[in-house]
Amino acid sequence: MGASSHVSPSPLPPDSAVDSSGAPALPLLDELLHEQATLSAVEQFSRAYESGVPDQAKYYSRLLPSAPPQEGQQYAFAVDLDRCSGCKACVTACHSLNGLDDEETWRDVGLLIGGSVSAPVIQHVTTSCHHCLEPACASACPVDAYDKDPVTGIVRHRDDQCFGCQYCTLACPYDVPQYHAGKGIVRKCDMCRDRLAANEAPACVQACPHEAIAITVVDRQQVVEDAETDFFLPAAPDPQFTLPTTQYTTRRVFPRNTLPADYRSVSPQHPHWPLIIMLVLTQLSVGAFIVGLVLETRFDASLLNAFRRQHATTALIFGLLALGASTLHLGRPQYAFRAVIGLRHSWLSREIVAFGVFAAAAVLYALVCWMQPSGAVVRAAGWMVAVSGSLGIFCSVMIYVVTGRDLWRFGPTMVRFVLTAAVLGIATTWLSLLLFGLFVDAETAVRLSAEAGPILVRALLPAAGLKLLLEASVFRHLLFRRESPLKRSARLMAVPLSASTFARFSTGLLGGIVMPLFLWTELSAPSPRSLLITIIVSMLVLSCLAGELLARFQFFAACVAPRMPGRV
Amino acid sequence: MSLAELFHQETGPLTRELLRQPGRFGLGQVPADLRPDAVTDMVCGFCATGCGLRVHLQDGQAVNLTPTTDYPVNLGMACPKGWEALRVLDSPERAAVPLLRDAQGRQRPVDWDTALTQFVRRFQAIQQEHGPEAVAFLSTGQMVTEELAFLGALAKFGMGMRHGDGNTRQCMASAVTAYKESFGFDAPPYTYADLEESDVIVLVGSNLCIAHPILWERVMRNRHQPQIIVVDPRMTETAMNATLHVRPKPKSDLALFYGIARILIETGRVDREFIAASTRDFEAFAEFTAEFSEERVVEETGVDADVLHRMADMICPGQRVSFWWTMGVNQSHQGVRTAQALINLALMTGSIGRPGTGANSITGQCNAMGSRLFSNTTALPGGHDFRNPRHRQKIADILGIDVKRIPEDSGLPYHRILEEILRGRIRGLWVVCTNPAHSWINQMQCRDILDRLDFLVVQDMYHTTETARLAHLVLPAAGWGEKDGTFINSERRVGVVRQVRRAPGQALSDFRIFRLIAQRWGCADLFSSWTSPAAVFEILKRCTQGQPCDITGIGTYDDLEAAGGIQWPAPEASGRPERERRLYTDGRFFHDDRRARFVWARPEPLPERPGGRFPLLLMTGRGSAAQWHTQTRTRQSSVLRRLALRDSVVEVSPTDAAALNIATGDQIEVISQRGRVRARAVLTHAVRPGEVFMPMHDEGVNRLTYAAFDPHSSQPAYKACAVRIARMT
Repeated sequence: MGASSHVSPSPLPPDSAVDSSGAPALPLLDELLHEQATLSAVEQFSRAYESGVPDQAKYYSRLLPSAPPQEGQQYAFAVDLDRCSGCKACVTACHSLNGLDDEETWRDVGLLIGGSVSAPVIQHVTTSCHHCLEPACASACPVDAYDKDPVTGIVRHRDDQCFGCQYCTLACPYDVPQYHAGKGIVRKCDMCRDRLAANEAPACVQACPHEAIAITVVDRQQVVEDAETDFFLPAAPDPQFTLPTTQYTTRRVFPRNTLPADYRSVSPQHPHWPLIIMLVLTQLSVGAFIVGLVLETRFDASLLNAFRRQHATTALIFGLLALGASTLHLGRPQYAFRAVIGLRHSWLSREIVAFGVFAAAAVLYALVCWMQPSGAVVRAAGWMVAVSGSLGIFCSVMIYVVTGRDLWRFGPTMVRFVLTAAVLGIATTWLSLLLFGLFVDAETAVRLSAEAGPILVRALLPAAGLKLLLEASVFRHLLFRRESPLKRSARLMAVPLSASTFARFSTGLLGGIVMPLFLWTELSAPSPRSLLITIIVSMLVLSCLAGELLARFQFFAACVAPRMPGRV
Repeated sequence: MSLAELFHQETGPLTRELLRQPGRFGLGQVPADLRPDAVTDMVCGFCATGCGLRVHLQDGQAVNLTPTTDYPVNLGMACPKGWEALRVLDSPERAAVPLLRDAQGRQRPVDWDTALTQFVRRFQAIQQEHGPEAVAFLSTGQMVTEELAFLGALAKFGMGMRHGDGNTRQCMASAVTAYKESFGFDAPPYTYADLEESDVIVLVGSNLCIAHPILWERVMRNRHQPQIIVVDPRMTETAMNATLHVRPKPKSDLALFYGIARILIETGRVDREFIAASTRDFEAFAEFTAEFSEERVVEETGVDADVLHRMADMICPGQRVSFWWTMGVNQSHQGVRTAQALINLALMTGSIGRPGTGANSITGQCNAMGSRLFSNTTALPGGHDFRNPRHRQKIADILGIDVKRIPEDSGLPYHRILEEILRGRIRGLWVVCTNPAHSWINQMQCRDILDRLDFLVVQDMYHTTETARLAHLVLPAAGWGEKDGTFINSERRVGVVRQVRRAPGQALSDFRIFRLIAQRWGCADLFSSWTSPAAVFEILKRCTQGQPCDITGIGTYDDLEAAGGIQWPAPEASGRPERERRLYTDGRFFHDDRRARFVWARPEPLPERPGGRFPLLLMTGRGSAAQWHTQTRTRQSSVLRRLALRDSVVEVSPTDAAALNIATGDQIEVISQRGRVRARAVLTHAVRPGEVFMPMHDEGVNRLTYAAFDPHSSQPAYKACAVRIARMT
């Protein structure tokens, strides 16, 4: 047999007899095409539905609670795992009965496998929104698009309020909110609240052939107690985080090696490029302003007066670029102003407000620098920039920390962001110096380089080195037998993301270690060559910036989200 | 918009997109923009369960569907394929115009006139040069009965073809032969209600949960707390729910069932009265089973003796025991005898003809039974015999044709047709609504054979099927929902489908294509009364008169819809039939003496035993409930794609994997004597050491399978071949 998998068909030899011009007319063809376009005449279906009760009610009525929730209670999905056979009708029914878009699904069915040779385990798990007691989506949302109904407990998303920041998709540990790029908003399961209100069952409940899904009333206190004892679902994300209400029940005993079918599969996550640019450039800008302030404390004002303008302007431009990039992340940027609404609970709101203040302060500071008022005013404005910027970075850190993901834990994330600010702040200061020398005052620039240069280099080396070490340290998890989110991150960085990993560490070493060492050597020379310094500084700045952008790409792409069991 | 609303917008256009409103017609709330102005009930076009679907119409056009609440099959439920049945019709892969291969080998759009001219001239030229039997056809269990009857009649009576077979050969042939030999007619005894009535349900080679979710629904509705015995070498979703999971070595089940029979006979747990009144050859069978000693059965099947006895204990007379099998039995080198081993168990325990009993074959395709009874391939329409002169005359009279036009035998089965192509004796092939270049066993050889044809015509909904891509001529066909007709499901229920969608471009229903071809071929006069599916349904009804499958009592399509489908037999003047009926309630079968036969044979060894360079046994089967056969349809729905397996996978026992240093997620190669495919390893104890499993939906799987056939049914044995696995190098 042939070795290739596709046998190419033989070409058709010409048929000399073909002469379609002489073919008879095709009255039958026309008739048949017409018939084909005519739909069956379906008699108007005229059965009376006086009761108004849907036909399916006779099956699902017993799957609905007999009474609405009382004080301290709410609705919840109840899933009988012994009846969930993996047919996945619930997903398609939800899709069809809720009019979802082609690629959109609000329910999913995953698989747990495990056991032993003599007692293997295969368990499908249907899952959707858990209508949590403390929904992470709602607390993350900067525009209060989510609310939790006080009576039913349904976590509802208001589609017209959403501006598409997608923060909820990062915050929810169960991957429930689905971003819809075409509409620029997120949508999610609302437990078919209109149906429940009319005493009809949600689509999934109506459609499960095995009656595996029901609606039940739960005591909120019981949900809390269950979460404390981790009584939710094997291998599911920690229920203490959001207090999910779905009641999974089974008579089966799952062996301890029961794991999701996709437990060992990893795929790079959405990188969110506008966020990468926003984060890196805000940190660059804040870092540059702070480095400038530090220089103020070490050097004479006369040396810095002219340079200060140049540096403040450079830092401001990057800061404004960052804020511009951030709006690109919104599905509906025209509603960006709504972001202030969630200030009381959403770190994204706080970040937006903090960086708003930072931007205003930075503009003010830059103006002040150009107007050359007294040193006290400059310093005051400078401190305003530093404080608001630092607060902004802190809020940025918290946005990721509260998602509970391992790669985004407080300590490492804080160190990453601060070191990005340090590395890029110093690099940008070098950039300012370079531009200052080229376009404004070469002589002062040479003096500044000679006096401040070594300090900047001595600060850059450890900052860049420490950051590279911190990022590389995640690879230690590859040595551990146990599969953990950090091991998955390491595997992602090592295999599917290997190209960006290589690029990140090469640019990091080049911009943060090699170029600074060259620069140090050249600055220590008796007569530093300005052209060479220009080249070195350019490479240093570009490499550091590229390295930090790549590092932030990995921060998103290699961060393994907690998830419910997935498919094979 | 007020300032407050600008900041906090409760509702608006995006919210309204997901608005739900009462749908009327008993539907409950539906998406507001899909609210129907009329509904119609029809039967699903995927599997042979035959679920009722209520299609929601706006201006006569289908916009959505829900399972029909009161349809006696599915009781208001459907599997994902049914829910997505309309969605798969919209696809850029739909064939919308005829495609003709040009001299450079590229498929080019042509008009119908050119396509028909080519079809007729090429096939007629082949027939003139090599004889009429040099052109053959492959039919299907996926078209409506009226169409596959038209195809069979047109090809054999109109175009003079001798050989034609259906893809039902791949799924049902063993059950058909088993029933014919044992009962005297291809007549499955059951109704789905039997799943709800049983005390003991024996499922053999059948993963209902995945392959037939709606039949599992019926099991779950059984209020008798049934004991469920699952016989399957692999742990499946269904086996997880078993009271007793019996895991014989693959294809050793014949010995297992003979062993069970011996235990029942030796312990006297047989229904002597029923055996005496309704069967033949029991004593000889009892004598034969004596050789299946406990030691031998344990040795050959690998099943523990106590499991064997537990299984025998559960199958005892008096209980309502039903036996159900699917492809694990049919797709075997001894599928017929294995099915008959189950029939024997039902007969000897009197487990037939009563509620909750039966030896019941669960069919694959939506119209497998329509094909068995009406496709004019292995049998003349109405289950008549080509070799019987009276039958030929009867059909000739009903169709109004010269009896000399009817061949005196049924022609060659599928694999023999392919062999004849290889020998150059068949040179033209017309493939309708099936995809052998994916689904036929030992696929590389099959493709090589198809490549040798002088003229290959593929008539299909999609121009992208593996077979359509090989075709010289592609004829664009309308699909389910785009035409009228009837299906017959596993439990003999005739149901109706309707034209509720417009077909793309110039695509025509297969029925209309057959009319065009009849006219062009010059045999339209034979089919002058075959003007519409409804007219053909009347002709087919007449063909069944006096047969076990008599449906002369069924009225129009509207009557079928109103009745919720009607099971055969439904002879004229039999009154309004009950909604759920079973056969053999009087203990009388269809052989001339009205007795069922015990049929048996010694088990044969596996045609390709694992060993040497190929130490593992490859099993194949369904992957997920969201995938159907070669996926030509199901891959068109983005939701079904999400619910299917992510890519090609092979289930490997952790023991075998450890020996080869394979981890879950690794891309590995599965290699047989015939080919190799790449797949992702899934480590699971669901398969035992020495066995691997691959879903049959992946295009590559049949590159591996070994072309062995059941000698009685000619059905391919997809379920067992020898392979090895290796890490990708």
